[in-house]
Amino acid sequence: MATLTDSRKRELRRELETLVGPGAVLSDPDELLVYESDGLTLFRALADFVVFPTSAEHVSAIVKLAHRERLPFVARGAGTGLSGGCLPAEGGVVISLMRMNRVLEVDYANQIAVVEPGLVNLHLSWNVGPRGYYYAPDPSSQQACTIGGNIANNSGGPHTLKYGVTTNHVLGLQVVMPDGEIVWLGDRTRDAQGYDLAGVFVGSEGTFGIATQIVVRILKKPQAVKTVLAVFDQIDSASAAVSAVIARGLVPAAMEMIDHLTIQAVEDAFNCGYPRDADAALLIELDGLAVGMEAQAERIVEACRDAGARETRTAKSEAERQLLWKGRKSAFGAYGRVSPAYMVMDGVIPRTKLPYVLSRVNEIVAAHGLRVGNVFHAGDGNLHPNILYDPRKPGEEERVVAAGAEIMKVCAAVGGSISGEHGIGLEKADFMPFIFSAADLSLMQRLKSAFNPTGLCNPGKIFPTKKSCVEVGPVAYRPHAIEEKGLAQRF
Amino acid sequence: MTTPTPTSALAPVGPLSLHGLSVEGVNQCVHCGLCLAYCPTFSELGTEMDSPRGRIFTIKSLAEGRMALSDSAVRHLSLCLDCRACETVCPAGVPYGRLIEAAKAEIERQKPGALSRRLFRWLNFGLLLGHPRLLALAAAGARLYQTSGLQRLVRTSGLVRLLPGTLPAWEALLPPVPSKADRVAPPRTTLAAPPRRARVALLTGCIQAVVFGAHNRATARVLARNGCDVLVPEGQGCCGALNAHGGDHARAQAMARETIETFEAVPADFVIVNTSGCGAHMKAYGHLLADDPAYAERAKRFAATVRDVAEFLAQEPLRGPLQAVTLTCTYHDPCHVVHGQKIKSEPRRLLAQIPGLRVVELPESDWCCGSAGIYNLTQPEMATRLLHRKVGHVLETGAEAVVTANPGCILQIQAGLGAHQSGVRVLHLVEILDRAYGGGA
Amino acid sequence: MPDALREKLSAAVGPANVLTGIELSPYVVEGRTPEAAVFPGSIDEVAAVVGLAAEAGVPVTPWGGGAAASVGTPAARAGLVLGLRRMSRLLEHEPGDLTATVEAGITIGAFQTALRSRGQWMSLDPADAERATVGGVLATNASGPRRHLYGTARDLLIGVTVVTADGAVVRGGGKVVKNVAGYDLPKLFVGSYGTLGVIVEATVKLRPLPDHEQLQAVPFERLKDTGVAVKAMMGSDLIPSAIELLDAAAASSAGLAGDAPPGGALLVVGFDGPREQVEWQCAELARLIAPLGGRQARPLEAEAWPRLAAAASTALPATAAVMTFSVLPSLVAETMDQGAGIARARGLHTAWAAHAGVGAVRAALASDAAPHEPDAIVTVLGEWREMARAGGGHATLEWAPLAVKSRVPVWDDPGAAGRVMQRIKAQLDPGNILNPGRFIAGI
Repeated sequence: MATLTDSRKRELRRELETLVGPGAVLSDPDELLVYESDGLTLFRALADFVVFPTSAEHVSAIVKLAHRERLPFVARGAGTGLSGGCLPAEGGVVISLMRMNRVLEVDYANQIAVVEPGLVNLHLSWNVGPRGYYYAPDPSSQQACTIGGNIANNSGGPHTLKYGVTTNHVLGLQVVMPDGEIVWLGDRTRDAQGYDLAGVFVGSEGTFGIATQIVVRILKKPQAVKTVLAVFDQIDSASAAVSAVIARGLVPAAMEMIDHLTIQAVEDAFNCGYPRDADAALLIELDGLAVGMEAQAERIVEACRDAGARETRTAKSEAERQLLWKGRKSAFGAYGRVSPAYMVMDGVIPRTKLPYVLSRVNEIVAAHGLRVGNVFHAGDGNLHPNILYDPRKPGEEERVVAAGAEIMKVCAAVGGSISGEHGIGLEKADFMPFIFSAADLSLMQRLKSAFNPTGLCNPGKIFPTKKSCVEVGPVAYRPHAIEEKGLAQRF
Repeated sequence: MTTPTPTSALAPVGPLSLHGLSVEGVNQCVHCGLCLAYCPTFSELGTEMDSPRGRIFTIKSLAEGRMALSDSAVRHLSLCLDCRACETVCPAGVPYGRLIEAAKAEIERQKPGALSRRLFRWLNFGLLLGHPRLLALAAAGARLYQTSGLQRLVRTSGLVRLLPGTLPAWEALLPPVPSKADRVAPPRTTLAAPPRRARVALLTGCIQAVVFGAHNRATARVLARNGCDVLVPEGQGCCGALNAHGGDHARAQAMARETIETFEAVPADFVIVNTSGCGAHMKAYGHLLADDPAYAERAKRFAATVRDVAEFLAQEPLRGPLQAVTLTCTYHDPCHVVHGQKIKSEPRRLLAQIPGLRVVELPESDWCCGSAGIYNLTQPEMATRLLHRKVGHVLETGAEAVVTANPGCILQIQAGLGAHQSGVRVLHLVEILDRAYGGGA
Repeated sequence: MPDALREKLSAAVGPANVLTGIELSPYVVEGRTPEAAVFPGSIDEVAAVVGLAAEAGVPVTPWGGGAAASVGTPAARAGLVLGLRRMSRLLEHEPGDLTATVEAGITIGAFQTALRSRGQWMSLDPADAERATVGGVLATNASGPRRHLYGTARDLLIGVTVVTADGAVVRGGGKVVKNVAGYDLPKLFVGSYGTLGVIVEATVKLRPLPDHEQLQAVPFERLKDTGVAVKAMMGSDLIPSAIELLDAAAASSAGLAGDAPPGGALLVVGFDGPREQVEWQCAELARLIAPLGGRQARPLEAEAWPRLAAAASTALPATAAVMTFSVLPSLVAETMDQGAGIARARGLHTAWAAHAGVGAVRAALASDAAPHEPDAIVTVLGEWREMARAGGGHATLEWAPLAVKSRVPVWDDPGAAGRVMQRIKAQLDPGNILNPGRFIAGI
């Protein structure tokens, strides 16, 4: 992709402004700078433009322009993603969907809602909450992340243990294809005709087009909810408890693990009520009918006790329950209290391999001289080791990346996956061969070509590059242009 | 073509600061974005530069020298309300308020703006806020302007459009200044109704004293009914909050020193504040004067005695007897009470004790109304958008009155409701408490 | 078929596993006889067979139990039937992981029996479980009544191994319950009718067997009233595993003739879970339905479950066509009522059954006239399709004689999405040898 000249850039900016209106195009380098990363600051890349459409027609027009100019483009929601998936890896246009954030329609009789991609996940539940409904997929960033971003990554969340991930809740999508055509994939009814294009689109990390309307299922709120905190002196016992619960034929709505270090961070942040001296805690939630719930909770408590829980307690009020969840869902951010940066891994393993893999994770990270906090969806076997580091300490970042790669290899070796919900993006593109053969990747490439033949739609993601990012390593410090001009200095 | 690069490529070593003011707190931000949807400006605009995360990143980039303070950076940083809603939801504990104050100070240092703007700032921050007598004089002038018919003439004749800069917005928001009789301060001492619970000193404020003298008098009465000897230190001026928020760091420090001295002169257990920004700011004096050896310790001690009036009163059940106030109201959280001081349940607990009063929850009650100090004057467009949002929610509730606890919010919401020809009244929390105690009569 | 190809096939899978001539009678579909039926015993053998077919340009029709062999547009060219009956092992079942991996040729019945012995099940209950295979059910996206609570194949399939048109072995997804690495290939192959690859292995999510299960039948005098009843149930705290709506004809074929009043309907609701929850729900159902036109509910025996899935298709003595509809759940009763009226106006009989809570409706159509009077049938099917479209849904002609299929498209018009599907097909099967012409949009 050729670099745009300044004059060409000005022309394109004017043209984009005629498409979406003034005030909806950014091209000032200072303004573009804040778009250089998503929730994973390990990677950064600058766009030529950030554009704010308000309709599918806008998106289509922008995409057609990009197509004509052979400019790469990528959709962006709230930018809370954790794999660099919405970075403009090769320059071009970032299409921010934050101004397309309406709930267009709610059909309670059919339990569906039609929403725009920039809608914040939690805001949908707020919208339908007064009528007794909610949107089930609940990524931990749900207070900020958008449904469009959830579509791209097929996001999960704590309650996906019982209710499934985003794809299980999406019926249809209006999509601006990479050539600008507006197409509906799936519809409002449950059985789409032909190939399950909506199913294939969800989780395609923005490489198949840009969703501009989304038909999602909304669920009736459960009659009753019960939240149990099981406290362990040994993290291994907590891992064993996860299997023990499943083995007893119990499937809670959520079963989350929080380790010692993470407990310190979230307690510092919000005083959520996790015991600071515990080695690990399991946050287990049951929901459904009120009748019989007590008995189910008892069986779960019994399983935890048998596995070595030193204490179990039940949230006595909705406020107490919310506080426990606030701690769980804010955990990543709370690491900011104990470390200036972290890299979150997102591996999945068969549940029964939990004790083994967790101990391997701790060994690997320790061997690299780093610290790790674990907070994850234990019931699904979806690990989130958060490796803490200081980007200002020379060499730490490289060690983090190396440890991450080793952890991913362990997940792959036990029959797991290298991403459960955060996506591959830029971060793990080079790890894809850990779990997929050349033939697997070739088929995925062909599928991509069917949607995105020019490759302009979110290039550089998912598929391994020739050089591994681990080999590339950090680049030496260069003074910024403005420093060279004497406009700024380092303190 | 840009290729993704690992961050360490440009990461500098050493603590970060902007011209001596530490912004090391930017490194606590892990870029999780959980603040985004709670930021009023980001919610309205959807632009990352106008989000807490974006602003923190901008401040970080300024400090690291990756970015110069360009006009666009100034624009986006200035658009921050400093409502600190982001602080409440930030799991990483980023001290956002301090960061944005440092950034605003840097803006003033580097880009003080045109002469008229500097003059304007000097007139307000330097002259009026710092000198209670001049402020009183200005109030008298404003009162004359409003009552003489001149204001009506300016507004109806279209003369207002000829005013330069942000003056038209100033003009529109100029609060109706009450008569001189109503601008009097509370008595220097109000004795507690027994049994005595504490001896407190009341901050009467600068603008508050002029526009809402009645609130101060009501505050003194309510505190006295709840067992407090209420002292009003003489010669008190502005606490400096507006200066700090506006980037006038040096003067803010000077005003803090004066305020500390004034209050140290009276023998009080607590300093009670009934305005949002002042309370939050005075609680942060310790940080503000941390580098001043002569004042660091005093400032810390002083800050520890500062209490918001609701925070103080809610520590014990309200003392009776309380009369019924038959009214449906809703409560709007002033930013620097709810986010700046994390006081959320206290005012609600107080309202719940008033017989006859029905309190309905206000959607987005803890969202900024757009007043934000002098924000409605400096950023009238965004302020108006947020005000519309606020007024829409108020009207949704069907309440007859909005109760809040800050003069800026009261003026702003009153103006918004007025524009909707709504009969909903806006009351200070102490007014409604005072009414339950039979009022000032 | 050229002898050379036949020899190569025999060499690949063994002569005993290549059928030709008269042995092909079970594989005759709509009067068309394949050139051969080949039964590989391993993934490598499947790859070899597909590779040989691709080389020779001979079409391949993957074949599980043949339960859905007649679904779809008749093939334009005869080719090979690729049978998977020799690949029917349960490869892996780790109860602690709630997952299992099977070869595609295992029947649903055999798989469920194996799982049940260890207290688990795959929560998918398509008709004809003893014949239908896992591969076939996935490829045709078949499901049954419990899809109401547990979803369909797309919700259960977490990993899939396919042999693609170029003879490559490709794995998508994995063995873990949550996985977003790479594109969601399991979704691509579910319901693709063998047009993109031959499913040879599958890994699915499992569930613990419920402690207790109960079916309740609620008769209604009028079909119309059931719409309100279903809506009330969906808006309540009840968590039914199935909500089946049968008209009188379908009820009768499900062995529940006595339950549905003539001209009326039968609502069959399933509950599962701990006994006290099931009992509470049965009582709550009765309370909810009583004021809405439902008669006294009656518990049904467990044997009724499998009969429900096939109720409509088998209801009429001389079925001339079966059409399935995907409509909004709120329109199910109306669709059935209106659709029956359309047929009645042409003097045709119908039987209707629906998974009412998800909007999946199946109708059988029959005529007294012998031989069938295609004109009336064609007209009714056309009007039915219009009816479905008018409500935002669509209709598929699941079964009909060639005379009807030649006049009524099997698949509805997918609109612009059809072009995307064609591009996918062109990318994955450029030689167009996998079930050519059978599927939607000419695929």
